[in-house]
Amino acid sequence: MYIKQISVYLENDTGSLRALTKTLAEKHIDMLALSIADTTNFGIARLVVRSADIEPAVAALREQGFVAKTTAVVGIAVANVPGGLDGALAAIESKGLPIEYMYSLNAVSGSNALMVLRLTAPDEQTDVATLLADSGITLVAQEDVDKL
Amino acid sequence: MKVTENKIYNPEAECMDRAALRELQDRRLVETVNRVYNNVPLYRERMQAAGVKPEDIKGVDDLHLLPFTNKTDLRDEFPFGLLAAPKSEIVRIQGSSGTTGKPIVAGYTRNDVDVWTEMVARSLTAAGAGKDDIIQVTYGYGLFTGGLGAHQGASQVGAMVIPMSSGNTQRQLMMMHDLGATMLCCTPSYAIYLGESLKELGYDPKEFRLKSGCFGAEPWTEEMRKKLEGLFDINAYNIYGLTEIGGPGVAFECCAKNGMHINEDHVIAEIVDPETGEPLPYGESGELVFTTITKTGMPMIRYRTHDICVLDDSPCPCGRTHLRMGRITGRTDDMLIIRGVNVFPGQIESVLLRIPGVAPHYQLIVDRVNSTDRLEVQVELTDEMFSDTVADVEKLQHTITEQIKSVVGIAAKVKLVPPKAIPRSEGKSKRIIDNRDLTK
Repeated sequence: MYIKQISVYLENDTGSLRALTKTLAEKHIDMLALSIADTTNFGIARLVVRSADIEPAVAALREQGFVAKTTAVVGIAVANVPGGLDGALAAIESKGLPIEYMYSLNAVSGSNALMVLRLTAPDEQTDVATLLADSGITLVAQEDVDKL
Repeated sequence: MKVTENKIYNPEAECMDRAALRELQDRRLVETVNRVYNNVPLYRERMQAAGVKPEDIKGVDDLHLLPFTNKTDLRDEFPFGLLAAPKSEIVRIQGSSGTTGKPIVAGYTRNDVDVWTEMVARSLTAAGAGKDDIIQVTYGYGLFTGGLGAHQGASQVGAMVIPMSSGNTQRQLMMMHDLGATMLCCTPSYAIYLGESLKELGYDPKEFRLKSGCFGAEPWTEEMRKKLEGLFDINAYNIYGLTEIGGPGVAFECCAKNGMHINEDHVIAEIVDPETGEPLPYGESGELVFTTITKTGMPMIRYRTHDICVLDDSPCPCGRTHLRMGRITGRTDDMLIIRGVNVFPGQIESVLLRIPGVAPHYQLIVDRVNSTDRLEVQVELTDEMFSDTVADVEKLQHTITEQIKSVVGIAAKVKLVPPKAIPRSEGKSKRIIDNRDLTK
């Protein structure tokens, strides 16, 4: 029950983000989500694409000299109403799971908004998705994202 | 600018007739060659391999028969393999950067510390030092020869020493101001930094009593001299040395400010062709080679400094008869001097190889910004090292920075770059981009 995120290292140079979008555009890859973490020294772009596009995207990026890797992240669907996200985060909090980062997918599923989260598992054995199974949160997997 | 009185610490030695000096060198060289042949296996083996017996060396004219010594020998014989005196006679260890992660060390007998102290005393005296002076030593104290060397020399001339060591600009200026320091010993780039910080910190340059300074441990330019002299209204003198030969004071500038007098009663200087090793005549540019002739702990025979300069035997108006060496115009190896610290790319490589997942693809970029050296180490990031979280990438960057600081001794800015961003197989020199102009 995970989404496969592509993470890309970006240098803090003019044009480095454009080089990324150009690479993906040339391969006709549709980005379903894009989030950028920026620091004073570097940036990390995180993106979600459809399953069929993951390998070609990573290959194309590496070809262009980017450092890219895939990471399993948690997708959740939250009611697209005030307080919708808050309820979900309260459930995650009750499980004691720290949130490393979070961003939204640029699509909705019915009346739900879709969010991507990187949760820190308490240890390597723990599967975060399993831990959330009884939390009442609606998990979104890569297969669900593929249909968007 | 204040006028520096032409003072000579040891006129008998420093103004010695050149024929008498040659005789002294001949005698001391023979003694040194016998000492190392009888006490240091490496020297004995090298001489035997070259077919040279101690009795073949009758004086300076025979020097060229002796094999060279290199920094790699100090690394290979680390720590005590090159000692020519019993360990019980060694009273001091000083050290410097090695070409890899390990430093090189030199052992000093009581005699060697005295010789070194005398050389620094001569240097400081040439810059006007005497018992009425208050000398602020801003070189680092420790294995690095700068701090203790200047300290000993300043004590020797009877001056009041302020042993500040390096760093903490505010405190340096406060002490310099409040105690009325008359001389400063530090790297030229830090001296300029102090001078530039002075006004920012609200001081009036007129409130300082500084008259001169001995600046060394890194190459500098006439432009920097002018700037430094203007900032503090002082005379700025160049001083040269290296741990292997003793430390700062091996050579120093006099009031003529036209080359550094080499303490020839303690060392013999040669200029050789860096490629062939053939000695070159005075006036020609080549690699500087030193032979120590009074050190007893760790004498050095034809030690290759890798520094490129010119030797000048023309008479000096100051009255000293010793040869002068010009400014260092370059290196024959890939050593960099950054903020007075010797840095070899091999040291950086050894650091990177020890960090799991880090590929040893790197490039060093050196700039001089506001008279201060900046080192940027670009390291190629691999998919393995990369993480989707900022914290992990920052941790990696921090680890590399800390390791470099601990091994090399200087703070570098670490920049992670994409794979293959650094040019490959274009020779060693591509590892370094030095944007500093040290020729003027």
